Amino acid sequence: MSALLIKNGHVIDPANGIDRQQDIFVRDGKIVEVGKAIRAKADQTIDANGLTVTPGLIDLQVHVREPGREDRETIETASRAALAGGVTSIVAMPNSTPAADNQTVIEFVIKRARDLDLINVYPSGAITTGQQGLKLAEINELKNAGAIAITDDGVDVQNEGLLRRAMEYAKTCGILLMSHCETDDLTREGVMHEGWVSTQLGLPGTPAISEDYAVRKNIMLAQLTGARLHLLHNSSIGATQAIREAKKGGYRNITAEVAVQHFSLTDEECFGYNTNAKMYPPLRSREHVEAIIKGIKDDTFDAFTTDHAPHIEPDKLEPFQHAAFGSIGLETSFAVMNTYLVKKKHISLRKGISKMTTEPAKILGVKKGTLSEGADADIAIFDTGHRWVVDSSKGHSKAKNCIFEGKALVGRAAYTIKGGKVKYSLKA
Amino acid sequence: MPAQNVGICAPMRTDPVKELTKVRAGRDVSFFDLYSMDQVSAKDLDLIIALARRFREYRTHKFSLSAGCSLINAFFENSTRTMASFDLSGKHLGMDTTSLSGANSTSKGESYLDTALTLDAYNPKIIVIRARESGVPEMLARHVNASIVNAGDGWHEHPTQGLLDALTILDHFKARDLSGKTVTIVGDILHSRVFGSLVRALKKLKAKVRIAAPQTFLPAGVENFGVKTYYNVEEALTGADVVYALRVQEERGAGGFIPTLREYSKMYGISRKRMNLANKTAILMHPGPVRRDVDVHSALVTVDEQSHITKQVENGMAVRKALIWLLANRMDGKRKEPTRK
Repeated sequence: MSALLIKNGHVIDPANGIDRQQDIFVRDGKIVEVGKAIRAKADQTIDANGLTVTPGLIDLQVHVREPGREDRETIETASRAALAGGVTSIVAMPNSTPAADNQTVIEFVIKRARDLDLINVYPSGAITTGQQGLKLAEINELKNAGAIAITDDGVDVQNEGLLRRAMEYAKTCGILLMSHCETDDLTREGVMHEGWVSTQLGLPGTPAISEDYAVRKNIMLAQLTGARLHLLHNSSIGATQAIREAKKGGYRNITAEVAVQHFSLTDEECFGYNTNAKMYPPLRSREHVEAIIKGIKDDTFDAFTTDHAPHIEPDKLEPFQHAAFGSIGLETSFAVMNTYLVKKKHISLRKGISKMTTEPAKILGVKKGTLSEGADADIAIFDTGHRWVVDSSKGHSKAKNCIFEGKALVGRAAYTIKGGKVKYSLKA
Repeated sequence: MPAQNVGICAPMRTDPVKELTKVRAGRDVSFFDLYSMDQVSAKDLDLIIALARRFREYRTHKFSLSAGCSLINAFFENSTRTMASFDLSGKHLGMDTTSLSGANSTSKGESYLDTALTLDAYNPKIIVIRARESGVPEMLARHVNASIVNAGDGWHEHPTQGLLDALTILDHFKARDLSGKTVTIVGDILHSRVFGSLVRALKKLKAKVRIAAPQTFLPAGVENFGVKTYYNVEEALTGADVVYALRVQEERGAGGFIPTLREYSKMYGISRKRMNLANKTAILMHPGPVRRDVDVHSALVTVDEQSHITKQVENGMAVRKALIWLLANRMDGKRKEPTRK
């Protein structure tokens, strides 16, 4: 028996249309009551006056690196970083070592997360064995072991025939298929967005059309097969158009996300050969960023993620062409959304929260991302006016490769509560 | 500055050191490392070119201007002319030079950074870097105490080549800048580090720049440099004041960008007939190594009076001497502070 009372916070719960000052009472890990001036006996009371109370954030795309690359990140360090960012649920990507193409890895991740009891970790399984793109993994076994979705993220299934079969089989098993959209033959040696910046830096570029083409192909195959398709980290004008058209055409089986760096930063971050700006898909030019923001405003995109990709320092202290792809972002995703979308008046805070809570929960089909009475008490409390400069050396992730390093952001998690227990507080 | 001995090759009427010091007039360049022509201000360019012209007059004269200083050539990619040029330039200035080329500790798995930190621990004044990958000199410059000079990085830049090209063209036209002059660059623009520095130098000097190449050799957004692009080489050459041919960089993967060298040379190779489309006073340039009868018709390479290809090589030594002296011996006493060790 434990009870928690959150007093006088500004509650934003998009699932229930709540956007006003409320109290929240939590007992035994569940939300008991949301209302005005709740008088209940609690073991702990948080004065949330001036703070914003939301469902705990859900991140659909996180690389936890365990098993296999615990030097980069572990389930524990990723979870602690998540908590520091107000994130209470993550989808763990399958590109561990070995890849999550078998029940053992899925079961390991679930057990490890349960033992840690920090956040909810939903493992995803690979589409193909070893993520080699050659042969389907035992998708139904993965699902039975607890995989929430299948994806070969990090690499894309290049063979259209196999991708079609994967979608048909995913539909058969009733599991979500998530696609990283990339056309290898067009990308070749590309290490950043192909454009004026890559030309000035003399770096081989990846044309945006590599993504556009793959997104269109995936949508067409999903339409053919009827599979539930989620498009990971979209970043281009063409991808935005393709998704918008599909949704306008009434096709309901696809959802799409944007990684927060793709609506906030451009390829100019690569100047100085900044390897933290090297990611996949690449940071694109201003026009692409503007198209992505437009797609966020008109709900072409359903969710925001981080594509949290931890690396050890030597992997980023390489020439740009050889450096590892990716940036960490679990601790900064809310702040980035708040700084680059809400403060710039592109969208309301409520809409931003919705794309980081209610919508990703719907995509996964999990009963999370809401403050409904009876729901799991996964709650984030943000100070939306908190100004800070990102210093990843003070972060909770094992890795320090953050593209937002040194940038001034507004908004930060003050408390993060999972299952009714305060797991993180900024002051502590 | 110590007194100088007379030249070894030719007796000098005046004291070269006094003359050079007069030209330098206590000035320094605005940078500690040189990895891009973007760093070179108009003042820097004037200073380097003025000194280079003097150094050229003194040919192989042995100075002790930078005696006691060391220069290390760290060429992670093989090179003949550039490495020899830097090495001799350093020696002419009285420096201790050493050169590492090709296979080295990076092939044993050591990173560029750790290799550079090792070399830096020998306390050289200058480390000259050539690398297969773009951005290596700029990255290393942040970490080491020595001045880093970029001797070619990936598809990016080769700034001393840009400087020597600027000197060559300015000398030919006896001008302070290139207003009203048209330079046509022909060839594998995409893979060319020479283009990267040349185009930046030419735009600084106010030249009109045309480039001619198949689309496969044109990098994205190249027109943002302020250049006009042509597929038709004849059109691009008509009325040009400088014709600059670039090599097809087969070793950087250019092979798949054109069907055959045969077809390329027919479409873009600089022949006598094509050269005649340029202005009568026009010069032909090429950074070398030339692939005769592919980039440029054999007869045009060395003997033709319009060809400035060997002048470029000579000017290369002169600008490198000027640059090395400026970087190794600062007059203002300022020191480079690496941002990270």
